[in-house]
Amino acid sequence: MKTLKSILPILAIFLTSCEEVIDLDLNEAPPKLVIEASINTAPADPDSSQAFVRLTTTTPFFNTEIPVVTDAQVTVTHENGTVILFAYSENGYYISDLNPEPNIVYTLEVIYQNEVYTASTRLVSSSPIEFVEQKDDAGFSGEDIELKAFFSDPGGEENYYFFEGISEKGNSYDAISDEFFNGNLIFGYYLVEDIEPGDNVRFNLYGINDQNYNFIFTLLQQGDAPAGPFETQPATVRGNIVNQTNSENFPLGYFRISEVYTFSYTVQ
Amino acid sequence: MKKKYLIAIILCLLVFDNLIAQTKKFTLSGTVTEAASDETLIGVNILIPSLKTGTITNEYGFYSISLEEGTYEFIFSSLGFEEVTKTIDLNQNVRLDIALNETTESLDEVVIKQDVEGLNIRKPQMSVNALSINTIKRMPVVLGETDVIKSMLLLPGVTSAGEGASGFNVRGGGADQNLILLDEATLYNSSHLFGFFSVFNPDAIKDLKLYKGGIPARYGGRISSVLDIYQKDGNRNEYKATGGIGLVASRLLVEGPIVKEKGSFLLGGRSSYAHLFLPLFDNDNIAYFYDLNTKLSYKLNDNNNIYLSGYFGRDVFEISDSFSNTFGNTTLNLRWNHLFSDNLFSNLSAIYSDYYYGLTLSFVGFDFDSGIRNFNLKYDFKHYISDGLQLNYGLNSIYYKFNPGEINPTTETSGINPQKLDDKYAFENAAYLDAEIQITDKIAIQAGLRFSTFNRLGQTGFLEYENDNPILFNENLSIYEKATPLDTLSISRGKTIASFANLEPRFSIAYELNEKSSIKASYNRTSQYIHLISNTTSPTPFDVYAPSGKYIEPQLADQVAAGYFRNFDKYSLEVETFYKEVKNRLDYVDDANLIANNAIEQVLLSGEARAYGLEVLFRKNTGKLQGWIAYTLSKSEQRTPGRTPQEIGINNGDWYNSAWDKTHDISITGSYELNPKWTFGANFIFQTGQPATFPDGQYEYNGIVVPTFEARNSSRLQAFHHLDLSATLTPSKNKNRNWQGEWVFSIYNVYNRMNAASVSFRENTDIGRNEAVKLSIFGIIPAVTYNFKF
Repeated sequence: MKTLKSILPILAIFLTSCEEVIDLDLNEAPPKLVIEASINTAPADPDSSQAFVRLTTTTPFFNTEIPVVTDAQVTVTHENGTVILFAYSENGYYISDLNPEPNIVYTLEVIYQNEVYTASTRLVSSSPIEFVEQKDDAGFSGEDIELKAFFSDPGGEENYYFFEGISEKGNSYDAISDEFFNGNLIFGYYLVEDIEPGDNVRFNLYGINDQNYNFIFTLLQQGDAPAGPFETQPATVRGNIVNQTNSENFPLGYFRISEVYTFSYTVQ
Repeated sequence: MKKKYLIAIILCLLVFDNLIAQTKKFTLSGTVTEAASDETLIGVNILIPSLKTGTITNEYGFYSISLEEGTYEFIFSSLGFEEVTKTIDLNQNVRLDIALNETTESLDEVVIKQDVEGLNIRKPQMSVNALSINTIKRMPVVLGETDVIKSMLLLPGVTSAGEGASGFNVRGGGADQNLILLDEATLYNSSHLFGFFSVFNPDAIKDLKLYKGGIPARYGGRISSVLDIYQKDGNRNEYKATGGIGLVASRLLVEGPIVKEKGSFLLGGRSSYAHLFLPLFDNDNIAYFYDLNTKLSYKLNDNNNIYLSGYFGRDVFEISDSFSNTFGNTTLNLRWNHLFSDNLFSNLSAIYSDYYYGLTLSFVGFDFDSGIRNFNLKYDFKHYISDGLQLNYGLNSIYYKFNPGEINPTTETSGINPQKLDDKYAFENAAYLDAEIQITDKIAIQAGLRFSTFNRLGQTGFLEYENDNPILFNENLSIYEKATPLDTLSISRGKTIASFANLEPRFSIAYELNEKSSIKASYNRTSQYIHLISNTTSPTPFDVYAPSGKYIEPQLADQVAAGYFRNFDKYSLEVETFYKEVKNRLDYVDDANLIANNAIEQVLLSGEARAYGLEVLFRKNTGKLQGWIAYTLSKSEQRTPGRTPQEIGINNGDWYNSAWDKTHDISITGSYELNPKWTFGANFIFQTGQPATFPDGQYEYNGIVVPTFEARNSSRLQAFHHLDLSATLTPSKNKNRNWQGEWVFSIYNVYNRMNAASVSFRENTDIGRNEAVKLSIFGIIPAVTYNFKF
C-alpha cells in the first residue's frame, strides 16, 4: 500500500514552515561492497534485454563521487552448472549477453578482495503496459501533469512489480504489490513537476518477487525519506546477497532476474 | 480467581465495619460547590485544625469524614476561594453542603492548585500534577490558543517527540501508554491537526490531574500515566456564555439551568478556520478541526445525581479533489452518583467511546475506514470509613471492537478490490481495592491491588502458523521474513482465542518529617492490553490499535519512585526520582508496512523499554508573581533483542534512545499581575536535542542515491529552546457589567529560534550532491485572542 504511505510526506508538507540546508558532521562507516545485479529480459523487444552487474562501494554521505570496483571477478551459474562470465565494461559495470530461462535457479558469484559474495534467484514474470492516461491539473498546485501507466495484473496469484518512469525532467520509481488490486488494471504513477508537452517518458515494469519488493519498497522510502514527526525509523536495507567469507561484512544491493515491459509516451 | 478476590473485598468491609462499630463515630459529609454557578468543586480541602487531619472533595465535589463524637472546627479552603469555617457539634451524622465564593481578585490571579499544601504533604499520593484551567489559560502559547497538553509539557517528566508531534510522553513512556480520560471516557487521540492543538476545549474543562507514577488501583489499561480530565457540569443558577475569538480557532460555550438548582446543561463548540495551514496553495485545499462538548447534569435528590456527557471531535483535510481525510473521537457517557450512606459514595458509568479514521483517495479511486470502538461499564466506590481510613473499590468491564481497515473502490473504473481486514474483538475486565490508611501520626500509606483480565475473542480470518511463530528469521541474509500461515480459521466470537490475567499491586507511602516536609515512595505495576501499531516518531492518525492475543503479549510496566516534598512560606519544592521498566514493548522490522496489514504479527517483535530520571519542581504559589521552574534529567530507551542467539533483533538487539529521550529538560513559566488591568506571562523552555538517526554513508542503486544509516537514534538534533511572552489586558470598564472581556496578546518564540523539528537528507539533483535539510516549524509567532464571558 505504497499509495497510502506516500500521503504521510504530503501531510508533512502542511507542517512545513521553514526548510534550511545545514552543515552537519556525520559519522562515516567503513566502505562496503554494493552489488546491483540485474538481468532483464524483454519478451516484447529482445534487443533491449540486458544483463549487468554493477559494483561500487559505499562512500561518505556528502561525497559526490561514487567509487566503482573494477577488479572483481563476476560470474552467474545456471543450475545445470554452466558458468557465464560477466566482463568488466566501464563505470563499475560488468556485462554479459545472458538470456535467462524461466524456472531456472541462477547463482551470482562475486569475488572481491578475496571475499566471496553469492546470491541465487530465478526469473519473475511481468505484465505489458497497455496505455497511459494523462491528467493536466494534478498535484498539490493543481497544475502539474500526472501520468498513469496501466497494466493488467494476472488474477489468482501474488505479483510484485518494480515500476520506473524515466525522462530528462526526472524519474519516478515505485514498488507495486497487487495485494489490493489482484487481477485488475493497475497503474504506475508518474508525477514530475517540470514535465511539459513534447517530453518523452519511458516506463519500465519489472517483475520482482516478494523479498525484492520489500527491499525496493524500503529503499525507495529511505532514498527520499519524509521529514517530520511521521518519519519511520530508518535503517540500512539488507538485500539478498551474502558474504560467504565474512558474513559480518555483508554487501548491499540485490540480485534480481526480471521480465520487463517497456512503454514510451510523449506528453500531450 | 476473581470470585475469591470479591469475597476478600467483602470480608474486609465487614471487618472494617465491625471496627467502626466499637467506637462511637459520626460522619460529616456533603458537597462543596462554587456559590455563583453551583458547579461542584474538586479537591477542596476540609481541615480539622484541632486533630491536624482532614480530607478533600472527590471528582464529584463530595466529601465525607468520620470522627469521634465531639465539637470540631472545620475549615473549607481552596485556592482562589474565600475560606469558610464552620463549627459543628458532631453528635449525630451531619450533612453539610458548602458553597464557596471566589475571592474577588481571583479573576486576575493565576490560580495554581497547591499539590503540596499541608494536607498533601501527608498524603501518600505522589507523582501527580494538578493544573487548574486558570493556570493553563494564562500561559503563553503558540498562535494564542490555550492548550491543555502544551501546558502539561511544562511540567517535569512530561515531554513530546518535538514541536508538531501528537500526543505527549510521560516519564519516558510512549504516547499510546497514557490513559486519557474525559469525564471518565477514554480518548484515543489527544491531538488536532497532527499535534498542533489538543482536543480539549479549555472553556469546558473544570479540572485535570496527571498521574505520572504511584498510579492508584482505580486506574488501569495503560502503563505510563493517567490524565484525568473533568468537564464542567454547567451553571445551575443562571445562563452564562464564555467564548474566545483567536487567529486560528474560535470557541463558544453556553451553560445554564434546566431546572433551577437541580439540573444544568453545558454546550461548547470550537472550530478552527479552514485554509489556515495552506497559505501557499490558493486552490481547494482545506484543513480544519472542530469539536463539541456537551453535558447534562441533574440532581435527583441529596443522594443521587445523574450526568450525561458527550464529546465529538473531527479533523478534516482535503487536498484539491484527490484526497480527503477525516478522523476523530466520539464519547458518550452516562453516570449515576449514588450515596449508599453518608460515608459510602458510588459512581456507575456507562461509556461509549470510539475513534474513527476515514480516508478517500480519489486519484487512486478508493476509500479506507478504520477505527476502534468500545463499551465500558465502571462501578466505583469510595468508602470513607474513618478519618484515617478510606477504601476505594470497584469493577470495570470493557468490550472492544477493532476495525483495522476496510477498503472500498469509489469509482467503477477503480482498480481496487473491496477488502475488509478482519475485525478483532476483546473483553477486558478488572476489579480493584485500594486503601488509604493513616497508620501513625507520621506515616500514611495507600495500598491497592488491581486484578485485570483480557480475553481476545473469536474472529474471522484468524491465522495459524507453524510453531505459533508468525515471523521467521532468515539467518543467511540476516533479515526477518513473514511466515506463511498454515491455516485461516473462523472462530466464533463467543470463544476466547487467548486470555491474560495480571495482578497489579500499587503501593505508596508518605512519612511526614515535620509539618512542612515529607518523604514519599511508591511502586506500581500496570498492564496494557492494547497496542498502538505505529513505527513513526510520533503517532499518526493512520495508526490503528491492535489487541493482545496469541502472538502479541500485553505490555507490563513496573515503576518505583521516591520523592522529597517541602513547603516554604510562599514556595514549594518537589523532588522525585523514578525508575521504570516495560516488558513486551512492540517494535517493527525494518521494512514493516503497517497500514492495512491484516497480519500485523508477521512484522513485529516484542522488546523491552526502560526509563529513569530525576524531576525537580520549584513553585511559587501565591502573590503577584507566580509560576514554577521544572527540571528533568532523564533517560528513556528501548531494545528488541533476537529471540535466539542467531537472530539479530532490531537495531542489532542493542539499546537505543526513544524518540522523546531528552537528557535535560528545563521549563520556566511565570505570570506577573502588574495591576488589575494588566497581567504578563512568560515561558522559557530548554531541552536537549531529540534523538535522530543520520546517514553514515551512501551508495547508488538503480540510479537512486540510497543512504546507509548508523545505529538507531544515536545522533541528536540541536538543542531546542524558545522564549514566549504574553500580556493579558482586562479593560477596567468590566467592573459592574455583565459582559466581561479580555485581550490576550502573545508572542511565541520571541527570539525567533529556528528549532529543528527534524533533519532530513536528500539528493539535490540541481547541484548533483547530497544535502542535509533542517525543518523548523514555528519561528516567531505573534497572536491575539479576545476572550469573553457574559
